[in-house]
Amino acid sequence: MRVDYRIERPIALHASFDVTGFTVLLGASGEGKSLLLRAIAGLVPAEGEPFGGLAATRRAVGYLPQGQALFPHLRAWQNVAFALRGTQRRAQALQWLERVGLAALAERWPGTLSGGEQQRVALARALARRPQLLLLDEPTAALDPATRDDVIAELIAEVHAAGIPALAVSHDPVLAAVADRLVLMHGHRIVQAGTPEEVNARPVNGAVARLLGHRNVHRGRLGGAPGDAQQLLWPDAGVALPVRTKLADGIEVDWSIAPLAVLVHDAPAAPATAIAATVEVCQVNAQGRQYGLRCGRERLWVALPPERSMPASPRLSLPPAAIRCWPCD
Amino acid sequence: MSATRLRLPLPFLASVLALVLLALPFVGLLLATDWQHFGFARGDGAAVAVSLVYSLLALLPIIALGTPLAWWLARHRLRGQWLIDALLLLALLTPPLALGLLLATIYGPYGPAGQLLQRAGLLLTNSAPAFVLAQFYAALPYYVIAARAAFEGVPRELEQIALTLGQSPWYSFVHVSLPLARLGLAAAVALAWVRAMGEFGTVLIVAYYPRGIPVKLWVNLQNLGLHAVYPLLWVFFLTALPLPLILGLAARRRQLL
Repeated sequence: MRVDYRIERPIALHASFDVTGFTVLLGASGEGKSLLLRAIAGLVPAEGEPFGGLAATRRAVGYLPQGQALFPHLRAWQNVAFALRGTQRRAQALQWLERVGLAALAERWPGTLSGGEQQRVALARALARRPQLLLLDEPTAALDPATRDDVIAELIAEVHAAGIPALAVSHDPVLAAVADRLVLMHGHRIVQAGTPEEVNARPVNGAVARLLGHRNVHRGRLGGAPGDAQQLLWPDAGVALPVRTKLADGIEVDWSIAPLAVLVHDAPAAPATAIAATVEVCQVNAQGRQYGLRCGRERLWVALPPERSMPASPRLSLPPAAIRCWPCD
Repeated sequence: MSATRLRLPLPFLASVLALVLLALPFVGLLLATDWQHFGFARGDGAAVAVSLVYSLLALLPIIALGTPLAWWLARHRLRGQWLIDALLLLALLTPPLALGLLLATIYGPYGPAGQLLQRAGLLLTNSAPAFVLAQFYAALPYYVIAARAAFEGVPRELEQIALTLGQSPWYSFVHVSLPLARLGLAAAVALAWVRAMGEFGTVLIVAYYPRGIPVKLWVNLQNLGLHAVYPLLWVFFLTALPLPLILGLAARRRQLL
């Protein structure tokens, strides 16, 4: 489904993109993502398609606001039945709850449900309205970190099972990572769209890389013309790094390097050009270890393979081929 | 320990003093009432009936007109809104006696609205409609301000969700806004009720007759003395206050007021 909306106030923005399967619109806070969803739902004045010109009550959308917004004075099944009419509404509501695996909690009040359960009730309520498009505002914001990957997985499975295109807006890279399609918003406009693989492999600028959760995105300036002698001046760390780009001398860039690509040396064995660093933090989780290393006023994240340990006085070198540069806006 | 002991007394004593001062008049009533010879003055019964019936009648237009206004004020912001807020506050802050004089000016036999309505057969001086009119004016601002606060406590998002679920704004109002604001609205009704029941100054000017409880209390005091007001005063407390007291306590418990 093609979404094309233009909003004037309170933020001027224009967004045009395709929604297929579970699509995530990723953008920083204040970009107007929630505003866009509310515009599509007909809750703020805007022009665009689909549903252009229709009153909110006539738009076939299933809107799940941040925090799910269940009616606190209605039981779970009554929430789901809110969009339903007729004598069969209770039975239908129970069927929808069954579909999201919550039939047993039909009589519960929203306040007694967990964040994930509330989300599924809200999803059942939205689906019961028989929408053509699902709109989800920051669906991971209210979730418990311990269960959120599973809740996200269930949400996506249910969206796929419903067979309705879904647009989720978020600033959460974890949600972006599981999208069928990723749309990136920066400066109140769409700057990139594609599958998560495509977008992650080739972010169009530093802001997108930051949104995707890439670590080590920094500001710098190029010195020298493209070629072997070109250098990346990194003023906040007080160093110059050899770099290979096609960008002109003197331009300001966002640059980044993957934590795994940073080479770590022990001080005595380090090349003369290596950067001195001190360990600030060590992050250990099921996926492995990452170190936050202080370089001047900045921090570089470095991933070490499991068999290596961090030397006492580390020196870092950044292979020119691993550094990616984008001209700043 | 000693530090706590030293810090407590002053605010504590002040609080106790304030509470004692608050309680004193009520204890006074309890002690001053002659329970052996508890009896009503002539016309007290009629005054009770007048107050109860007309206060209930006054509540109807107050709720019918005040509820939409309160909801509208809670949900809309427009330029010049301060004028509406100022008007509400003005009505709220105008001393009852002054309000009565204003009502007499506009609705009295020589007032423009009064003359018009009189031609239609509605006399708004010393009549049942005049009594209800005075109560309406006295209680409406309180109701609107309390009901607006009740509606403001309903998350707007929930009303909007109702719209996205295909329900009309009216359905959303009845099934979302009203139930979620019910406690605050009930407190607003109770407030309007006690204001209407207890209104003296405004009623005195435009409707000395029919006599409700407040005017009758005044007449008893003038004609028979202080002892003659206590029985009627008890009736007033027992009829006017329980509802607002219960709702006030319930609302306070839910942090609505």
